[in-house]
Order: sequence, then structure tokens, then C-alpha cells
Amino acid sequence: MGVGFTYRGADRPALAGIDFQLPAGGVLLIVGPSGSGKSTLARAIAGLVPGDFLGTWTGSLRVGDLDTSSSDRLQLAATVGIVFQDPGSQLVMDRVEDDVAFGLENRAWPLAAMREAVPAALADIGLAGFEGRRGSRLSGGEQQRLALAGVMAARPSVLVLDEPTANLDPAGAAAIFEQLARIKATGEATMVLVEHHADSAWPLANLILALDASGATIDVGPLDDVLARSRSRLADAGIWLPGDAASMARSSPNRGVRPASDGAGGIPLVEARDLRFAYERGRPVVRHVDLRIRAGERVALVGPNGSGKSTLLRLIAGLLRPSGGIVRLDGLDPGGLAAGPLARLAGFVFQDAELGFIENTVEGEAEVGLDGRSIDDLMARLDLPLGSFGARSPYQLSGGEQRRLSVATALARGPSLLLLDEPTFGQDRRGWEAIAEIIDELVDAGTTVIAATHDLAFAARIATRHIEMGDGWILADEWVGGEVATDRNAAGHAAGHAASDPAAASDPAASDPAASDPAAQHPRKPRKRSPKRSSPPC
Amino acid sequence: MLSPIDLTARQESSILGRTNPLVKLGIALGWLIGLGLMHDPPRPMALALVAVAAGLVLGRIPPARLIQGLTPLVAAAGSIALANLVFAAANTDPAAHELIRIGALRLTAEAVVVASSIGARVVAIVATGVVFAQTTDPTRLVDALVQQARVPERFAYGALAAYQAIPRLSQDLGTLRHARRIRGVGCDWHPKLLIGLLVRAIRHADQLALAMDARAFGTTPRTAFRPLMWRWTDLAVGIGGAVIIVLLLLA
Amino acid sequence: MTLTPASAPTAPFDATSMAETRWRTRDILVAAVIGVAFGVVFWAWGLAWGLFAPLNAARDLLYAVWLVPAVLAPLVIRKPGAALFAEMVAAGVSALLGSAWGVDTLLSGFVQGAAAELIFAFTLYRLWGFPILALAAIASAAAAWVHDWVLYYPDVALDVQVIRGLAMAISAVVIVAAGSLALARSLRRAGVLEGFPD
Ligand SMILES: Nc1ncnc2c1ncn2[C@@H]1O[C@H](COP(=O)(O)OP(=O)(O)OP(=O)(O)O)[C@@H](O)[C@H]1O
Ligand SMILES: Nc1ncnc2c1ncn2[C@@H]1O[C@H](COP(=O)(O)OP(=O)(O)OP(=O)(O)O)[C@@H](O)[C@H]1O
Ligand SMILES: [Mg+2]
Ligand SMILES: [Mg+2]
Repeated sequence: MGVGFTYRGADRPALAGIDFQLPAGGVLLIVGPSGSGKSTLARAIAGLVPGDFLGTWTGSLRVGDLDTSSSDRLQLAATVGIVFQDPGSQLVMDRVEDDVAFGLENRAWPLAAMREAVPAALADIGLAGFEGRRGSRLSGGEQQRLALAGVMAARPSVLVLDEPTANLDPAGAAAIFEQLARIKATGEATMVLVEHHADSAWPLANLILALDASGATIDVGPLDDVLARSRSRLADAGIWLPGDAASMARSSPNRGVRPASDGAGGIPLVEARDLRFAYERGRPVVRHVDLRIRAGERVALVGPNGSGKSTLLRLIAGLLRPSGGIVRLDGLDPGGLAAGPLARLAGFVFQDAELGFIENTVEGEAEVGLDGRSIDDLMARLDLPLGSFGARSPYQLSGGEQRRLSVATALARGPSLLLLDEPTFGQDRRGWEAIAEIIDELVDAGTTVIAATHDLAFAARIATRHIEMGDGWILADEWVGGEVATDRNAAGHAAGHAASDPAAASDPAASDPAASDPAAQHPRKPRKRSPKRSSPPC
Repeated sequence: MLSPIDLTARQESSILGRTNPLVKLGIALGWLIGLGLMHDPPRPMALALVAVAAGLVLGRIPPARLIQGLTPLVAAAGSIALANLVFAAANTDPAAHELIRIGALRLTAEAVVVASSIGARVVAIVATGVVFAQTTDPTRLVDALVQQARVPERFAYGALAAYQAIPRLSQDLGTLRHARRIRGVGCDWHPKLLIGLLVRAIRHADQLALAMDARAFGTTPRTAFRPLMWRWTDLAVGIGGAVIIVLLLLA
Repeated sequence: MTLTPASAPTAPFDATSMAETRWRTRDILVAAVIGVAFGVVFWAWGLAWGLFAPLNAARDLLYAVWLVPAVLAPLVIRKPGAALFAEMVAAGVSALLGSAWGVDTLLSGFVQGAAAELIFAFTLYRLWGFPILALAAIASAAAAWVHDWVLYYPDVALDVQVIRGLAMAISAVVIVAAGSLALARSLRRAGVLEGFPD
């Protein structure tokens, strides 16, 4: 009957009858739809469930000869290390080396051993020289590698990773997978991995454990066996399989479709001219952005962690006041609009979905701004039927559910512009498809969509125009896979994107993505005057 | 955005920057008690000047930062002096020397002395506080509290971890306000913002606690990666601080 | 090295019950974070405090904002020491961020937290109704009142002191006791206090 766990107060088990054996040095990949108990199992292996979480535990889970539910925490912590999804919330100490040492101090390592292990762990992970830096100032990818270094420094024999790349840009994710491959090759640790990136994660695994929505096992075994035996059952459950991402990207119904045009000479829905922004004096985050987006366009905003995507979206939505330059939404200054009219013009899905919630129940959230219209259909399509979800607290939903809820809330007032910040982050395949389909319908109905995303498959699936940011600059702005709007000049004028030539002509940095320093190459040199300190309009 | 003080390398390597935080804390507390015993304006003002000078010279605090830190606080301190001026017992004492009378309000010379000495006291407290904060790395402070003052380590490092969350929480607060605006419910300072912020704070605490537990926090008495030892500068600064307050009390 | 969920059923392990007084890491962090959040509130409140000066003694009707963590944290955590710990953290944070009361903020935090702690200790940490919260809040305000009298208002007329004290007590009951209850209820409804006693 295997391992089972029910959170206190839950009406169904999060894990039911899990049974597997993983030999030393092996890699176990746990897959399953959102809410299937992957994180719960990962925490259980690290001895955090039960213990840190209240609930009822059945069966026994052994790591080596330690029973995770009854062993001494110190012993268990010496054996198992765990890395979580959000890099920022795992950093305990301010400085990088202190943070790596934190786990060793807790295990009462002698000073000499720590002085040796800390730099070694940083060097192994590719962070040599970062010792004195502040963890909070690192990019998401660096922070996640730091978290990994902090865990690996203690030389655990089992390494558990719960969606370690979910917040990272493709390069950061690749760097983590590289590290995992290295750890697997050296046999330093047995690994347990929860990961949606099937293409990178599956080849790494010796053993696949697939869970279904009720927390029970669909199948467990070596990769080929599982694929041969249960491919369709896994697909039905909404689990990402290798190759899925690529086929999803190809399945774009918009390939070859011309982006909708608002007619010649119409004003663009979104316009930015020489837009600049800095949160802190002397540290520009958005630099000299020129942009024209017309009604009905679907735009993907891509670029590495910290390149300014979220900031640009907030500038467009009038949530931040530009430090310089102008932004116009439907010809108006969005920063000057009152909340009501602004909300009818633009809807927003925040990168951290939870921060967008303002009510205590899912139903309350969904109904903000609806004015009595029904949202039942939309909620059902998003797999959040109000009947079962309505009374729940939005903060108690799983990550995937929270994100789908925030998509619903952004649509409440039928805005003409939808701004999505990482809408597919942490979604299983079904949630992903639901979101993509809803976007398709919205665009058909005339809505303009701008989505900031690290999910390149999603970008390919929904967008006909890709804007790439780097360090606050727009590095490239190109149409993809589609015939281009006739009104080339109006659309391409400011940002300089050219139709058949994806490498924008007026932007040398764009034609050479590897161009070392965009600041040096950008045609418009940064102004001497440092940006004004600016506060959000509200 | 609100973020904890970021010491420059010069500040960190200065004499006060390298002095044990407990010594500085001890001096600040000693001065606080001494200030409680002073009932005149000049001596607290002198102490305030000493603190500022020490901050500039021994602490290498950039003057602009010092001024930036002091200004709002001195303004707040002024309000305490004002309250003392208006509500001094001397104002109702018929024997006291009346300076001015506006309707029911009678201000006396005695009240002015009291108010200005309290004002000077608060300025001295502010100056010491700013110099302390501008020369002390919170991590070092907690290290010293745990290693040398025997403060319980789980609580000390737990508080430190929570302290590091300030920039993140202040960003979250910004986003909460943005969400209210873009969802059309306005962007005033609604009490729900406080609840939203506490929700975030507690969720962050949960995640941090999990990450710390997973790294064996609190399972056994810890060792220190940054062991602290008493140094001669600590002794010198400590004696200096004590001498100053004793001299002023005797003056 | 094997990861083995054994197939043999074992007796269910029930982790639903809670250790009474030992602080879990989660307790420490939640209390600390409440302290930190209010430390930031203190800091802002301290800067605004000067602006409230024209309110004179009525300003003390707003005084109790300084005392909230001493009641909110123990109400959430229900562990011995929570009042003192959270209030000290809040005070320390506001002192580090810059407070008009400098190091004295720590002393204030200590007396305010300790006074509330004392009341909770008398109940053996068993009673958490409004009357006890109000009592703890008033105790905390009383401690603050004495402290401020000695250090900042030594020569202020007695009747003004009494009015201040009354204003502080009223604000303690309204802002601290009632406010903490309301906040804790909202947090519980939001679902973030799962695993803490109701
Ligand atoms: N702390 C908790 N308290 C109560 N219920 C929880 C808690 N954490 C998770 N759950 C519930 O347990 C179930 C399994 O959650 P878990 O987080 O393990 O899912 P998951 O597979 O990791 O999902 P995702 O892919 O969205 O991260 C879900 O129904 C979830 O709502
Ligand atoms: N509220 C804030 N205060 C100060 N700095 C901020 C704030 N928000 C973001 N930043 C900084 O601005 C830069 C750009 O951040 P932004 O969130 O716009 O990047 P991004 O492209 O969305 O990154 P990611 O892919 O990680 O989401 C980063 O260096 C970030 O640290
Ligand atoms: Mg999960
Ligand atoms: Mg972003």
C-alpha cells in the first residue's frame, strides 16, 4: 500500500500508495499534473513531511536505513538536501559565502572544514569569485545555483530538487541541468527531481514516477518502459512528455496568419518613445525603449532574468511612472488614468500571481469588476469550477491553480489589452493549453496580448511578434512565422523591426545577438543625465 | 524602495566598522543612561557632536548619508521638544518666569530650558543611533549577539533571516498596490494592503523556515563560520566611549 | 543507498498533534517576520510621528501602533516569549532602519514586549480572548507610558501625563487588542495560519 499523506483539513490524500525503489546514484524524476503531490513527495523524502506539515502519514519511506518520518532531523539533514522552486526564498544569509556556510554551521562542522568546503562548493557550481557578493543582488539563475551550492556543500548523499528551474531563463535553466548532469556523472549524490521541462529532465532520469491528479501512481519504472507502457495515460493526465514542447510550439494556429491590423494610419494601442525607467538612481532597468504595438497584435516579450520585461509591462500598464520618455495606451497616458478606466483598458497577470489577489475567496476574486456578468464558463475551462473552488482561499491553491485564477481575474472587465507576466510558469500541459486557447479566442475577438515569458514554446505558440530584451534594451523585435502587416512603416517605424529581415536593420545589437555590450552598440547612447527617481503613480 | 542600509567598503573597514557591534551597542546604551541624567542643553549637544564626529572620522560615513539619515529623525525629535515646551509643568507654576502668553498658552523660561534640554537629548540619541546603524553590518551584529552575548541562536538567526526579507516585502507591497489599481479598485492606502503584506510575509516565513529546516537549522548547537574575537580596537573604542560620557557627567 | 517506501503497512503516524511549548523554526520565522513587518511600520510611523505633533496629547490615541506585535505575534504563535521576541525584533528593525529614538527603541521594545508577555504568562498561555488581549495591550501601554515619562517627558505636568496615559490605554484596547484579533482572523481566513492553533 506504500506511502500516503493527507494534509490536515484536506478532503483527499495528497499522496496515496506510493511505492518505488531508487538505487544509490540513480536519478528519480517525479512527474504529474498540477496538484498531484509532487512537492509533497519531494518534501517527504527530505523529511519535511510530516514534521513541518501537519497531516496523517501512512507507510514508511526510507532513505538508506533512515526512516524519514521518525529519524533524527540532524541525521536526515546530513543525508538529504533539498532545493526549492523559488530561488529568492531559500537564501538565509546576506553574503554568498555565509549562505553556503549556513548549512554547515548548523551541522556543527569545524571551522577548518567549512573554510575548505565553502569555496569548493561555489567553484563546483560555477560561482567562484562570488563569495563576498550579496545573494539578493544576484540574478534568478545565479541565486538558484547558489541554493544548489548551499545544499551540495554539505555533501548530502541524496539531492532533492523541486522545480529548480521554474523561475529561470532558458540559459539559467540550462546551467542548472548542466550541474545536475555533472552531479549524476560524478555519482556524488542520488537525485530526486520534480520538473516540468520534460526535454531536459527525462534524459537525466533512471526512474520515472508518474502521479495522477489524486496523488496515486500512474506508472513507475525506467524511462523507456514507462513511455512504452503508459504514454497515453500520462498524456491524458496532462503530464509534459519529451517532445511535447516542440510540438506545442508548432501547433500554433496562427502560423502564416497575418497579424491583425487596426487599419492604415490608426493610432497604435501601445506606444513608447524613448521610454526609460530606473527603480534606483543610476541603475537603469529600461533603456530608451521605442515600441509601437497595434490592436490585435500578439507579442511575446523574451529575455534573460532581470532584463526588464516585468518592468516594461508595468510601465505600459501605467503602474510605474517613466523616469523619462513617454508611454501611451490607446493614445492616453496610462499613469494618469483613474483605476476604473485603466482596468477597462488593460488586464494584468502578475509574475507572482498571488500578489494580484485582493479578496479572501476564489469566488470573490473572480467577481471583482464583473458587474454581474457570469464567469462560470471561464472558470470551468480553466479547471477551477466555482462549485468546488469558489469558497476556497486563493492563497491555498496550488501554484498552477493560482496562475489560472489570475488569468481569469485579468479578463474580468474585458480589457482591450492583456498583459501577461509568465502566464505558463509551473503549468501542466492541460493548464498550458487552456491558457493558450483562451488567448487565441481573445485575439480573435480583437484583444491585444503582450506576454513576458521564459517559455519559448509558449512564445512560439501564441505570438506573431517576438521582442527580445537584454539589460533594459530592446535587442530584437521581429515578426515570426507570419506574413507581415502591410502597414510596415507604422508598425515598424520606431522599433525598427523589418518585415522579411528578422534582424532589425536599425539596431546593430539585434543583428548579432552575441554582441557583447548592447550599451556600446546601441545607436542611441544613454543620456548623461541619470534618470529621475520616480514613484509609482499610486 | 525601502532597503536596509548598505555599508560601503570604506565604512566596513573603518575603525568603527571593525569594532565589535556589542561594544558599540554598550556605548550607545551607556550614553543613553548618561543622557537620562543630564538636564541641560549643552552637554547632550556636545555628545551629539562627538557622535557625529566619530561617525565621520572613525566610521568614515559619507557626510551625505549621515545628513540623509539624520534629517528626518531630527525633525521627528523636534516634536518631542515641542510637546515638552507646551506641556511643561513650569508653565502653570505662577512663580516661573513668563516669556509669552497666547490665549490660554503660557510659556515660561523654565519650560524653554526643559524643552531645549530634552530636544538636545533626543538629538544625541538620534545621532548615536544613526552612527551605530551606519557602521554595523546586521550579520555581524547577530554573530556577536550569539557568540559573545549568548543570545539564543535559533531566535537570533531567525530574526536575521526575516530582516533580510525587507526589500522583498517592500517590493511586494508595491505590487499589491499595483494590483488594486489595475483591477480597478483604486490605489489608496487600504487596510487590506496591510493584510496582504502580512499574508506575504507569513508565506515567506514558511518558505524560509522550510529551507532552514532542510539545512539542519537548530538540530544541534552551531559552529561559527565567522568566529569573533575581542580585539584591541574594541577595548580602545569602549574605553573612549566610557571616558566621554563620564567626563560629560562630571562637567 | 536506497530510497525505499516499504510496502509493508505500518501504523499511521499522526502528526496532527502539536508540541506545546517548543518553538518550531516556523514559529520563530513567523514571529520574526511579524516583528520585521511592524518594524517597517514603526519606522514609517516614527517619521510621521512628528507630523502628528499638532494633535498634542490626542496624538497618543495613535500611540498603540508601536505595541501591535507584542499582542499579534503571541496571538498567532501562542508560545512563551512571542510577545517579547516580536516586539524586540520590530524595535531592532526600526532602529536599524533609522529611528528618532535610536538605541532607546530597543529599550522601549523590551519594556513593551515584557509587560505584555507577563500578562500572557499569568494565564499560562492558555487564554486568548479579547479581555486578556486588552489587558496585555494595556500593560504594554503602561510600560511605555512610564518609560516615556522618565526619558522624554520628565517635567511635563501631571494632568497631561494622566491624559496621555488614558489616551494610550484607549488606543491600546482599540488598535492593539481589537486590531490584532481582526488581523489574525483575516490571516486565518486567507489560509496562511494553517498549522497554528485557532
Ligand atoms: N501546506 C498545505 N496544506 C494543505 N494542503 C496542501 C498544502 N500543500 C499542498 N496541498 C495540497 O496537496 C495537494 C498536492 O500538492 P503539491 O504541492 O504536492 O502538488 P504538486 O504536484 O507539487 O503541484 P504543482 O505542480 O502545482 O506544484 C494539492 O491538492 C494541494 O492543494
Ligand atoms: N521593485 C523593485 N525595486 C528595485 N529593483 C527592482 C524592482 N523590481 C525589479 N527590480 C530590478 O530591476 C531589474 C529588472 O527587473 P524585472 O523584474 O523587470 O526583470 P525581468 O526581465 O522581468 O526578469 P525575470 O525574468 O526574472 O522576471 C532587475 O535587476 C531587478 O532586480
Ligand atoms: Mg509543486
Ligand atoms: Mg519578470
